[in-house]
Amino acid sequence: MTGLIQNEWMKVFRRPGTYVMIGLLLIMTTVAGAFIKYQESGGTVPDNAEWKRGLQTQNESYKKQLEEMGETVPRDMKEQYQREIALNEYRILHDISPNEEYSVWGFVSDTSQLIEFAGLFTIIIAGGIVASEFSWGTIKLLLIRPLKRVKILGAKYITVILFGLMLLAVLFGYSALLGGLLFGFPEKAVPYLYYYNGTVEEQSMGFHLIAYYGLKSINMLMLATMAFMISAVFRNSSLAIGLSLFLMFMGGQVTRLIAMKYDWAKYSLFANTDLLQYFEGVPMVQGMTLGFSIIMIAVYFLLFQALAFYVFNKRDVSA
Amino acid sequence: MDTLVEIQDVTKVINGRTIIDSVSFEVKKGEVFGFLGPNGAGKTTTIRMLVGLISITSGDIKVLGSSISTDFEKAVSQIGAIVENPEMYKFLTGYQNLIHYARMSKGVTKEKIDETVELVGLVDRIHDKVRTYSLGMRQRLGLAQCLLHDPQILILDEPTNGLDPAGIREIRDHLRMLARERGMAVIVSSHLLSEMEMMCDRIGIIQNGKLIDVQHISDFVQGKEKVYEAEVDDPAKAQRLLKNKYPELPVQITENRMLLPLVRDSIPEMIKDFVQADIKIFAVREVTKTLEDRFLEVTEYKGGAEHDRTDSK
Ligand SMILES: Nc1ncnc2c1ncn2[C@@H]1O[C@H](COP(=O)(O)OP(=O)(O)OP(=O)(O)O)[C@@H](O)[C@H]1O
Ligand SMILES: [Mg+2]
Repeated sequence: MTGLIQNEWMKVFRRPGTYVMIGLLLIMTTVAGAFIKYQESGGTVPDNAEWKRGLQTQNESYKKQLEEMGETVPRDMKEQYQREIALNEYRILHDISPNEEYSVWGFVSDTSQLIEFAGLFTIIIAGGIVASEFSWGTIKLLLIRPLKRVKILGAKYITVILFGLMLLAVLFGYSALLGGLLFGFPEKAVPYLYYYNGTVEEQSMGFHLIAYYGLKSINMLMLATMAFMISAVFRNSSLAIGLSLFLMFMGGQVTRLIAMKYDWAKYSLFANTDLLQYFEGVPMVQGMTLGFSIIMIAVYFLLFQALAFYVFNKRDVSA
Repeated sequence: MDTLVEIQDVTKVINGRTIIDSVSFEVKKGEVFGFLGPNGAGKTTTIRMLVGLISITSGDIKVLGSSISTDFEKAVSQIGAIVENPEMYKFLTGYQNLIHYARMSKGVTKEKIDETVELVGLVDRIHDKVRTYSLGMRQRLGLAQCLLHDPQILILDEPTNGLDPAGIREIRDHLRMLARERGMAVIVSSHLLSEMEMMCDRIGIIQNGKLIDVQHISDFVQGKEKVYEAEVDDPAKAQRLLKNKYPELPVQITENRMLLPLVRDSIPEMIKDFVQADIKIFAVREVTKTLEDRFLEVTEYKGGAEHDRTDSK
C-alpha cells in the first residue's frame, strides 16, 4: 500500500501544476501579511483602560434590545446576543481584556480564510486523480497489476487526503512563521474564550487555532471526497471539479436560503460541514446538534465512498 | 508442452450486442500465438478480457489454472500486457514509469529494471521524459513494462503498430527470443498479415467475434491440397483433356495459364498426357499462397467462390 501511495504522490508532484498551487497559496498568505502589516502601522490598538465599562454598556444595550423585541426576536439573533453577553460577562469577571495587540495568532486566524483555496486545490487534485488515468489511457496498464482495484482506488483517496492535509500544514506553518516575523508573539499568553452549551470556557490559543483549522477543513475534505467520487464514477475530471467547486461556493448559501423556510435543509451536507457553528455561532436549523452533524457527515462520507468503490470495481475498462 | 492460457467458451455481450461469441483456444509454453482478424473483429475485446480489464459475460479464462475472474491477482501476476497503444505517464521519465509499475508487483529489484531497460535497448533515453519519446521508443518502454515482473505470458495488442520495418523486425526477434529461450507463451494480435507469418507458430482467425479457425502457420498458409499453375499454348484443349480424366476438378483458365488444385503425385501423369496430346508446356509451378491470400479467403470468401485469383506472389 505504501508503494501505491508513493506512486500517486509521485504522479501528483511530477506535474508543474502542483507547484503552482502551493506557490499561489504562499503568495496569497504573503500578500495578506504585507497588507495587514501596512494597515497596522497606521496606529496601534488604543490601550483603553475603560474596557470593562464599555463591555458593560454593550451588554446592557443587548439586553434592552432583547427585552424590547420580546417574542418577535429572531432565534439566531437571540442566541447571538446571549453568546456575546456571556462572553463579555466572563471577560469582566476574569479580567481578560478584549484589546489585545494584533499578533501571530490573529494573523493565523485571519489566513484561515485561505483554507477555501487549499480546498479548491485539493478538489482539483481529487477530481483528476482517477479521471486523468482514463483520459491518459494509463488506466489500462494500471489495472493489470496483481492488486485488487479497491487497493488502487484506496491509495488514490489516501493521496488526496494527504495532499489536502499537506496544503493545510503549509498554510498553517507558513502563516505562523510569517505572522511571527511580522507581528511577533504576544508577551503573555492570552486564552481563547468559547461559548458552548451555555457556558464559557478558556482554551490555549495554539490549541484553539489547530482545532479551528481542523473544523474549517472538514468542508474542504468532504468536497474533495465528493469530487473524488464523481471522478471515479463518471471518469470526467471537468465534471468532478466543476460540480464540486460550484457546490463549494454555492452549497452553503443555497442551504441557508432553504433553511429559512424548511427544516429538512438540515439533511443537506452543507448544513453540517461547518462544525464551528456549534462553538462560535448559531446552528443553521434550530435543534441541530454537534452529534447530529457528525452523523450526517459520516453518512455522506460513506455514501460517497460506497459509490466510488462500487462503480470503480465493477467497471469495464475500455478507455 | 504444457498449456499456460486456456480460453474456454468465452462470450462478451455489451449493451445486448454479442461482441465475442463462444471463443475457445489455448496457448502453450514457448509458443507465439497470433490473433488475426480485420478491424472490429474483437481482438482487443478478447485481450481486455484476458487481462481482466472487462468482465466475461460467460465462459472462463484460466491462466496457469487460475481463473482471471475469480482469482484475478494470482492469474494476472503471470501476465505482462500492452492493450492497444502503450500509454505511459508522459510527464514522468521512462525510468520513473518503470519504477511506478515495479512498485505494483512483488519483488522487482532495481537490477531487474536496469536489466529490462538493457534488453529493450532503451538505455540511452531511459532518463528522458516519455513526452520526448518516439513511437518506437514508447513501444520499447511498453515492452519493458511487460517484462519487469518476469511473467510467463506476454499479451501484446498490435505490437508493431506504427513501427518502421526495422522496428517491426526487432519486436519480432524479441518475441521469438522470449518464447524460445524463456519459454514464455506469447499472444499477439494483428491485422498485419505478413507480420504474423514470420512471427507466429499458430494463428487464430477471428471475425465478427467468432473464432473461425486455429491452425499451425504452415498448415494455414498451405491449406490441404496445393495449387499448381501450368503455362501452356492451348489452355482450352488442355482443359478438355483434364475434364475427361478428372471430371470433378475445378480448373481455372486465364489467357495461357491454368490453375489446378492437384495432389503432387498426379503432376507427372498430367505432363505426360499434355505432351502426348501435343500441348506445349512452358512451365508448371506450385503456387505458394501467402497468408494474406488465405486470410482474405477464410474471412471474406469463406464458403464462397474458390481461389479466384490470377497471380501468385
Ligand atoms: N465498450 C464497447 N461498447 C460497445 N461496443 C464495443 C465496445 N468495445 C468494443 N465494441 C465493439 O466490439 C467490436 C470489436 O472491437 P475490438 O476493439 O475488439 O476490435 P479489434 O479486433 O481490436 O479491431 P481493430 O483491429 O480495429 O483494433 C467492434 O465492433 C466495436 O465496435
Ligand atoms: Mg484492436
